[in-house]
Order: sequence, then C-alpha cells, then structure tokens
Amino acid sequence: MLMPGKVKYRKQHRGRRRGKAWRGSTLSFGDYGLKALEAGWVTGRQIEASRVAIMRFIKRGGKLWIRIFPDKPVTKKPAETRMGKGKGAPEFWVAVVKPGRVLFEMEGVTEVEAREALRLASHKLPLPTAFVARAV
Amino acid sequence: MTEAMNVQAEPREEFGKNASRRMRRAGRVPAILYGDHGLAIPIAVDPRAIQTVLASESGHNAIFSLEIKGKAPARVMLREWQVDPVHGELLHVDIVRVARETKLRLKVPIHVTGEAKGVKVQGGVFEFVLREIEIECLPDDIPEHLSVDVTELTIGKNLRVADLALGEKVKILTDPASVVAHVVTLKAEEEKPAAEVAEAATVEPEVIKKGKVVSEEEAAAAEGAEPKPETKKEARKEGRKES
Repeated sequence: MLMPGKVKYRKQHRGRRRGKAWRGSTLSFGDYGLKALEAGWVTGRQIEASRVAIMRFIKRGGKLWIRIFPDKPVTKKPAETRMGKGKGAPEFWVAVVKPGRVLFEMEGVTEVEAREALRLASHKLPLPTAFVARAV
Repeated sequence: MTEAMNVQAEPREEFGKNASRRMRRAGRVPAILYGDHGLAIPIAVDPRAIQTVLASESGHNAIFSLEIKGKAPARVMLREWQVDPVHGELLHVDIVRVARETKLRLKVPIHVTGEAKGVKVQGGVFEFVLREIEIECLPDDIPEHLSVDVTELTIGKNLRVADLALGEKVKILTDPASVVAHVVTLKAEEEKPAAEVAEAATVEPEVIKKGKVVSEEEAAAAEGAEPKPETKKEARKEGRKES
C-alpha cells in the first residue's frame, strides 16, 4: 500500500480543499485516464483497491500509472475516549484530490478495455470521476 | 500548411478578472495577439473558431488568418491556450504573428503506424515515451506530424529521435538519443496475502530528526577528544586542585 517512507512531521492539520487541480490535470503518460470531478481525500487503501481492480481486469495486457500519492496522515482517537489529551494517533494516509486531477493513466489496451478497467476502479473511489482519452 | 482558416476577433476594451468572466459568459474568450515586432493587442475571439483550429489536421501548429475589426488580416498561429481542468473549456488564448522569413521553434506530434513485432509476436507492451519533438523551421515548412513505422520494433529495442526521418528544411532540436518508443515486458504481479497488506499499513514512516545531522566519524572524533570544562568556575576549581 502506498505511504511515505520518511516524513518531517507525524501529524498534519486537515486543511482546505479549495480550487481546481491546475497541475496534473492532463494526460501525461498514457492514452486513457480517470479524472476526478470533485474534491476529496483518497486513502492509500482505496488507491490500492483501484489498482488491483484495474490489473485484474487487464491481466498483464497494459501499463498503468498512478498519478496521486497519499502523503497526508490522518489521525484518529480511539473509540470511547474522552475529548482532550491531545491529537489522536496517525491512522491512515490520504491523497488530497481536487477537481480535474488525473488519478490513473493507462496504455497498451484498447479504449473499450480501458473504459471498463477504469469504471471498475472508479467504484473503489470516494469521488465522482470521468473517463478521459488523449485527443488525436 | 494552408491558411484557409479564418478567425474573426474584436479588440478588448475591458480588462481584468471580472471583465474576462463577463466575456466568457457572453460566449467569447479573451486572447492576446503579439509577436513579429508588433504591438501586443488584447482581443476577444470565438472559442468555437479556436477549437476548430485545434481540431484541424495541423493541430496547434496550424497557421490561420486573424481578422480584427477595422484592421488588415494577420497571418498567425496559436502559441498557448489555457483550458478549464474539469470541463476543458477554453479560458484564454495566446496568438502570435508569423513572419514568412523567420524560423520558428515548435513541437510536432509523432504518429506511430503498424503493430510492433514485440507486441504481436513476443507479447510485450508498446510504450510511447515521447509524443512530440521540438523542431526549428520556416513557417511554410512546418510538418503536420511525423509518421514512424514501428513494425520492426522488438522487445529491448528502442526507437530514438535520431531514427526519425525529416527533410533538410527541418532541424530537430530534441536530443537525438531520446527514446521515442520501445516495447517492454511487464513483470507478473504477485498478490500479497491480506494479512501482510494490513500489517504494512500499520507501520509508521520514519520521522526526520530536527537539527544538524552528525555523521559517525564526527561523533567518534568528539568522543575521543578531552571533554572541555563546562564553565569558568569549574575550570578554576580544576586548576586549584592541580596546584
């Protein structure tokens, strides 16, 4: 599962998810991709589930690029704990995704296969997505 | 390259974020015309006309005629265009004047034809690494695209920029050693057991320590040296004891 190897700080603030993805919003490597239409946090587990869904469908047929990385730690307090006593322990890692961000890219498969593989992947994600193909 | 396409434009009198948004709502796109030692003129164009230029065979390298109300038509091409990251609508366009005798630096798309032997026979995956190359040429010599036949490409062999055949009128600026395409073999993926994946997920990453990083040699040298007296008082006391 994706997560950073080294970090400067163990915990982070939640932050805001304003604006659109002005970077990473075009296809850079493959012919087909999956684009986020809304903002959200995508966990490492969700990215891994999507990757597995795509790879199972294409069966070594094509190449996949994951364009997001979960580098933000999310903390959680244990169940039935009183408030206070500091921030909870890091629980999982998320990638902050803004509308327009390309999440996955594929190459070496037909458009029909890419559409189906990315449709299966989109069901593992917490935000609405759209299929994109390279023009030309 | 033909100049058959004609785009109508009108000069812009209002500037800034608010005026540009009003213009986009009204169905026009803010643009700017510059280059060829002429003045920069802010203009407004029809986004559908620009989309037609972009969708033409020459794509973003198409040379077309721009007619601004009350002025003679100019020979122009697109330099840069901004699109909305979600919906893909045009937001702004940079249009540059093209002089017939001035060489241009631009990017030309590469089109591959045929199916590589490495894919068809050997079962590899075709990877298209470089989709555009930078060239320098006169406006009348701009190629629409570069066609490359990849039928003979096998696993482990690369198609490089140096292998591309272009006429004498066109100079390639991209590094000739750059790989354009190759066929790769993909590793079989091993599915890890769920327990192993869950265990890996609970491991926390290393936290980078604050302050100066002391190397092992420096630490050893510091240990070997005599410890200095911490304060002046301690130094004095030690001096008395010795006497």
